[in-house]
Amino acid sequence: MFKLFTNMMKEEWRIHSTIFGSLSFALFPVMIFGIAFMGSFLLPLFRTVIPRGDLSTIVHALFLLLGIMVGAFGLIGQEAMNRRFGQASLLAYSAKSLPISVQEIFCTFVVKDTVYYFFLWVLPFVGGFAIASPFIGIPLLLPALLLLTLTLAFLTGLSVVFFLSTVYARSKPALGIILALILIAGAGLYLFAGINIALFFPPLMLFYSFSWVLLGLTCAVILILSAVAILLFTSEYADTTKRYDSALSPLAQRLSFFPYPPLAAKDLIDLSRSGSFIGQTIFSFLIPLGLLWFLLSVLTRLLPPGGVLLLFAILTGVIASTMYTWITAFDSYNSYTCLPVSVRALLTSKMCSFAMLQLIPFVLIIVVSLLTRGVAYLIPALVLCLSVSFFSLAITVWLTGLSPGVMVYDAKVLVTYLFVLGIALIVLIALMFVNPDYALVSVLLFLPGWFFVRQGYAKWDILDQPTF
Amino acid sequence: MEKSPGIIEALGLFKQYGDVAAVNNVSLSVGKGELFGLLGPNGSGKTTMIKMLTGQIRSDGGSATVLGLDVEKDPIGIRELVGIIPEQETPPSFLTSTEYLDFVGEVRHIANVEKKADWWFDFLDFSDKRDVLCKDLSRGTRQKLMFTQAFLHKPVLALIDEPLINFDPIMQHKVKDYLAEYVRSGNTIFLSTHILQIAEEICTGFAILHKGKLLHTGTVAELKQRDQHLDDFFFSLVQKESHV
Repeated sequence: MFKLFTNMMKEEWRIHSTIFGSLSFALFPVMIFGIAFMGSFLLPLFRTVIPRGDLSTIVHALFLLLGIMVGAFGLIGQEAMNRRFGQASLLAYSAKSLPISVQEIFCTFVVKDTVYYFFLWVLPFVGGFAIASPFIGIPLLLPALLLLTLTLAFLTGLSVVFFLSTVYARSKPALGIILALILIAGAGLYLFAGINIALFFPPLMLFYSFSWVLLGLTCAVILILSAVAILLFTSEYADTTKRYDSALSPLAQRLSFFPYPPLAAKDLIDLSRSGSFIGQTIFSFLIPLGLLWFLLSVLTRLLPPGGVLLLFAILTGVIASTMYTWITAFDSYNSYTCLPVSVRALLTSKMCSFAMLQLIPFVLIIVVSLLTRGVAYLIPALVLCLSVSFFSLAITVWLTGLSPGVMVYDAKVLVTYLFVLGIALIVLIALMFVNPDYALVSVLLFLPGWFFVRQGYAKWDILDQPTF
Repeated sequence: MEKSPGIIEALGLFKQYGDVAAVNNVSLSVGKGELFGLLGPNGSGKTTMIKMLTGQIRSDGGSATVLGLDVEKDPIGIRELVGIIPEQETPPSFLTSTEYLDFVGEVRHIANVEKKADWWFDFLDFSDKRDVLCKDLSRGTRQKLMFTQAFLHKPVLALIDEPLINFDPIMQHKVKDYLAEYVRSGNTIFLSTHILQIAEEICTGFAILHKGKLLHTGTVAELKQRDQHLDDFFFSLVQKESHV
């Protein structure tokens, strides 16, 4: 078992270091440490607008989410790996070829994820906060407690997703019943008793009022969920083959105004059939923006008229630019190398598909401006949002080509992206605070944006495409 | 047999990955109407060679032309003319088989693609998988799909990497016959394989690669004249090279 554990650790490291580069990935915990350290000095500022409790909830929620994401990736890892590496396999899927039971493999997999992500995320994050604590008047006991509760929040996310996925594999109706019960209980408590169910999240309860009993209960929840998941785990899944009527040619005809209609049609089909269009719109766009709107609305009194809407438009533009990762997630250039399709054509087509998706932020900004009676600032907000989105897209194309979802984790790429985008955003924010109409200047971002796209064409059309 | 020049001409091709020379100064020539086999053990550089000849990757040295086009200068032009079956069958996950062939038809501007695809669905016996997403296809069916996309536009030259590896014996037989007939009608095929029996059955010319180096080029007819089997010749050559 220990041999399997060490090999799984090596495998996890090699996946990441192959994708991101050994040095870049080795620096990742250092970057988390640095961000947590510097971010800690902003805590006194945050506290003036956000109550301490909300901040703690957000941080615990983030680590819960991290656990869920890591767990989900573990379960769909084979497919994700195959898209990136071609015909790849993981030790976690080797039960059929090795004399090891699926339960033993799964158990080792859970332990590996726990140890690996503790050192990758939890420890650097809390370490940065701990080092900064004496300078901002926070007792050292708090980071120590945070190390415990964030680890438990991560483990809760991991065990919940493992539990739910094994229930799903055994019985879809059972999963539906469990989720419905959770929803009904949460909604009932909130609507009839005014109690926020998030406050019953065990690691958060432990953070607010530590007791050994509560610690035992929190660990018991994680252990029970994991144990049930390990017992129920099966590698046999029901056949999920789906059949579809042919949609590519009709769609390509409707998109004939695009430079590469079949490529654009393929992007739309990918988004629709993978479930990404709805899923990503909700989870990667609307929910983060809802949270951002909530945070920005706290600043209403501090900002000039229209400031919140315009600032929201900028942030919407930045988040909307990540839609480029939605349409590049389904294929690598390897899928096209047997066809007469150049990298330049693919980049152009992906940008056109991206342009179609910009209808979503466009509508969102209109709705938000109507709901907040900010119609007077609608035009500058729209221009700002779309200009920032396309400018950010251009930088992404230049820096990452067709692999934004992977290369953004390269520390050098990320720093360059943040630096170039940051300069533009600072100038725009300064201008719009002087006069909201100056936000229209943002349309000029299309010029440097075009320059970056051309740089991207030159960069990615010349080099052999990276294989991840 | 007299070779017609100009279908594939490689001169001193070289490709390095890290410290390893995957293809080391390889020169070869394939004439029109040949079914040319590039043979070699796993890791000998066959796939790298095909990728360089089709402009999928750039060489680190040497030069090559395919159908008179320079692989470095006009890789897309070459891919327009030739058919390629890559070693790893990777059709797009969320398109159905029919849609993928429609997609290939649109990209290659093929007329009557539906009718042509129908013929292939019947010929390779996977009509029941027309509306299934590529991600849900078995490896054998994916291979059939990739085979179809390579020949859908009736290219004058096809470069195929391990073409029969996922096919059952019946399908292998059918495909071998198809390839032989395809060449008889004046087209050219460049295939890489490590299954020597296939090469001996269908290839006219062949080259043997080992650890990136070209050990031999010749014809199957020459071997037959010497009453020698390809596998014996291959093993003696590779073993000799390994001892060196």
